[in-house]
Amino acid sequence: MTSLLGYLGGEDGRNILSGLVNTCVLWVVGTLLGTVLGFLTAVARRYGPRPIDWLLKACVEVIRGTPFLVQAYLLYFGGPYLCLELGGASACLTLDPFEAGILGLTIYAGAYFSELFRAGFDAIPRGHIEAATTVGLDRWQTLRRIILPEMTMLVLPAMVNMSILLLKETAVLSIISVKELKFQVDIIGNRDYAFVEAFTILALVYWALVELCGRAGRYAEARLSRYRFAHS
Amino acid sequence: MSWELFWLLVEASGLTIVYSAVSIFFGFLLAAAICGADLSGRAAVARPARLFVSFFRGTPLLIQLLLIYYLLPKIGLNVPSEVAAVIGLSFSTASYQAEILRGGFQSVPRGVVEAADMCGLSARATFRRIRLPIAVRLTLPALTSEAIMILKSSSLISVVGVVELTTMAKDLASSTYQPLPIFASAGFIYLVINLVVAGLGLWAERSARRGHA
Amino acid sequence: MNRRVLINWSLALGVSLGLSTLAPKVASADVLDAVKKAGVLKVGTETEFAPFDFIDKGKHVGLNVDLFDEIGKELGVKIEWIALPWDGVLPGLESGKFDIVAGPATITKKRLERYKFSPPIAEATVAILKKKGDASITKPEDIAGKATGAGKATVQLSLLQDLVKKLPKQGEVKEYVGFNEAYADLAAGRIAAVANSLPNIAFVAQTSGAFEVVLPTFGPKTYFGFPENADAEHVKLNEAVAVAMGKIKADGRMGKIQKKWFGVEFDTPAEVKEPSL
Repeated sequence: MTSLLGYLGGEDGRNILSGLVNTCVLWVVGTLLGTVLGFLTAVARRYGPRPIDWLLKACVEVIRGTPFLVQAYLLYFGGPYLCLELGGASACLTLDPFEAGILGLTIYAGAYFSELFRAGFDAIPRGHIEAATTVGLDRWQTLRRIILPEMTMLVLPAMVNMSILLLKETAVLSIISVKELKFQVDIIGNRDYAFVEAFTILALVYWALVELCGRAGRYAEARLSRYRFAHS
Repeated sequence: MSWELFWLLVEASGLTIVYSAVSIFFGFLLAAAICGADLSGRAAVARPARLFVSFFRGTPLLIQLLLIYYLLPKIGLNVPSEVAAVIGLSFSTASYQAEILRGGFQSVPRGVVEAADMCGLSARATFRRIRLPIAVRLTLPALTSEAIMILKSSSLISVVGVVELTTMAKDLASSTYQPLPIFASAGFIYLVINLVVAGLGLWAERSARRGHA
Repeated sequence: MNRRVLINWSLALGVSLGLSTLAPKVASADVLDAVKKAGVLKVGTETEFAPFDFIDKGKHVGLNVDLFDEIGKELGVKIEWIALPWDGVLPGLESGKFDIVAGPATITKKRLERYKFSPPIAEATVAILKKKGDASITKPEDIAGKATGAGKATVQLSLLQDLVKKLPKQGEVKEYVGFNEAYADLAAGRIAAVANSLPNIAFVAQTSGAFEVVLPTFGPKTYFGFPENADAEHVKLNEAVAVAMGKIKADGRMGKIQKKWFGVEFDTPAEVKEPSL
């Protein structure tokens, strides 16, 4: 145990910390951007014209039907070959690993979140929306005052679960050399022939993060469910 | 990209399917045991069951696979690559399936169970004839999604030395310098497999509903 | 945090730390005897190290495959390959996942403290690989200020890091899971150079047509060997492999294999006692 603490000082400690920070940034930013993308997708599918709905549905199915690792490979290794020619100049999607990681997580999360929101929209009783229209709320007000708060409560548990899945997916990004927690700890474990210890510690750190996230989610649910009583 | 390369990907997807199918099967058996332990009400078995679920849901599969492959030899269990891959995938899916099954059993309406009881069915018969079929019917959609999840997760087993679809795609991409068509093709193959699984899931749901109008 | 959670957590922590500090189980049987009895020699490697081990049209090929076929014939056993990412290969050797590593790995003092090495199979001295036609790099020092890369957990990476540290302008040194990813990034233009051993990049430059080798080499002169377990159970196996390799070298089979994969035959010392690194 004392030997483990030795890693926390000096350059190793800084590298591990930067890995942990990168993991958290990937996770939080991926979840937030994914939520926005997912919400926009769900709204576009619900209120937009039919062809948009079909197109987005196809995209969502493709993203949900393929492994995250393949998507990461495609973005990172395929990106530089994905070029846009504009009047002689060409721009290619050459992302560094971290950018590819954020973009990949956002798209992946967006697809799953959009399905959660779609289910959330469908689960709101029609009567509530009709009632809102009757009392004179316009479409935007209905969305903001009625649909959003009700939906948040409905989809929150599933969103917490999804964001836990995302946290675990960030470890996959070490394969495209994103310098997140696993990547950094691996390097030290390999240098010092302490790979088993490295994997053990990684498992415990992710476990702790996931448990924390789950607890925070249950707390948020409990807080929000106070509002549920107001109109049930 | 040539048909020859595409065919190599299709061949490799065979292993993806085999590893996933075997793991989902073993995972289901393990999940049933875990779910039983969890719902037994006895702390001595329920607590380890819950710890198992918490650990395998709370850590990345990538790290679970590495732990199984490199940590087990330290306690004298030196499993080869193929076995490590199956253990990793089955344990991971078992932890999810156990939660799904638990949800299913807990959603069986109380009244139905009570009615069975009143009709004089034994606890065993109630379980086999009433609770199990209803729970399975309730959990089929979630189990189908879980099967698709595992098919996708199997893309990680190359870290313990098993070559499947994703690894083959990566190897081909780096030897031909054509990552775009090769990874797109790999994605397409996963999509086709998963659509078939989703279709089978729907078919199973429909047959389970038959006679339960 | 309530008590039950605390108990669960400390239990988990205790079990995992306990497991991870347990001494490796002592295998009592001699490995050579076991290998001969099973008729199979398990060889661990990474398949991103052309021309030693790589995947061509979905098949594992390379110098190591041909050489171990011959070694297998000498020992009278079949070869079973286990391919892992490079940073998992030496851990795999230590965990007893396979009997020997084909790698190959640069023979260094630090590695010799922990492993045995087979007789050297090729020179491992490191040079720079650049994109074809890149006029800005004509010697290793020209990578100053440019992004470069090499495989994770490799000697080539640390030599590159040492070189970059000495330069006036220091570009980023990227670490890749395997060298193929580094070559892919070089082709994609994310990095300006990859550092790897001369036999590797000479082969890659020749077969891909997209890259060029920058000479001279940099860092000390080193050799590649196959890493082996250093414990008592592996002594006989390591000796048998060395004898087999000596025979393969003496009767000209090694030369043929070298010619096939490098285009030239070359000589290597019979043993590396004092590595330069």
